[in-house]
Amino acid sequence: MANVNREIQELLADYAVALRDGCLPGFLKSLTRDEAKSIKGSEDFWEATEVVRLMNSAGFGEKVVAPDVGLFISRVDAGIASRQKKAKASMRSRRRNRNHANL
Amino acid sequence: MDKRLRNALRGLTSPDAESRRRAMEPFVRATFNMFIRHLYRYLGNEVECEDVLEDVYADIWEDPSHLRDIANERHLLRTVYLYYMRKRLREVYRRMNRNLSLSQADLENLVAPELGLCEMTSQAELKQLLHRMLGKLKSRERKAIEMWMQGMSNRAIANQLKTTVGAVKMLEFRTILKLRGMLKDYVEED
Repeated sequence: MANVNREIQELLADYAVALRDGCLPGFLKSLTRDEAKSIKGSEDFWEATEVVRLMNSAGFGEKVVAPDVGLFISRVDAGIASRQKKAKASMRSRRRNRNHANL
Repeated sequence: MDKRLRNALRGLTSPDAESRRRAMEPFVRATFNMFIRHLYRYLGNEVECEDVLEDVYADIWEDPSHLRDIANERHLLRTVYLYYMRKRLREVYRRMNRNLSLSQADLENLVAPELGLCEMTSQAELKQLLHRMLGKLKSRERKAIEMWMQGMSNRAIANQLKTTVGAVKMLEFRTILKLRGMLKDYVEED
């Protein structure tokens, strides 16, 4: 991605490789202002990205498997517990504020 | 719809937060593969997909109102994408955006797009469809796409096709647009 002024077909090819290889941030950071402008104005680019996503999904999506769903579930549960805690804390502080106001 | 998933959905839409928390485990077990594969379409990175999905499930627990009348798995995926995943996908690179040349709107369109052609098609169907469409391409076009899908770099593809990297990128771009035309025809026929 060393080329500074990439044509739209090069940008699409680089986006496709970045998405396939899981390094989208690298592609996003590599964009210059002129390249960003040409992406914005190119209907072809946006249409092509749709197909690239589908190709990525059909070609590589199946390889995504969680090694341990149980571990993931405990992560989700911890996230939920922390949200519950936050909600309770904010409810308590709201109640306290209301009581202060009534006094 | 799978009985396990239907029961989990029923528990998830309960007004009681504790019941919803208990229903989350069977729901995650029933949907994890479907959801993470769908997210992979937009991020291409397993670690980021897991992080996003973790927030998606917590959002579902917090407000499951959109999941009340789910008819089938495709409907579920569509609803989850539109109401939960897109919001989270938009946030993935938001912090990075301060240093990017791409506008916020373009970044969102790239990472969390509106539903496009075949966006909700399952992987198995997509594979079949793509296979059929590749068969209609010229040999050189098909080879380039097949090699790309095998994970080859553009330089390696160029070496195989005995051409330059620039020519390969142009060939890929034209072929992808051709595939898009075929997809559009397929969707219209369908």
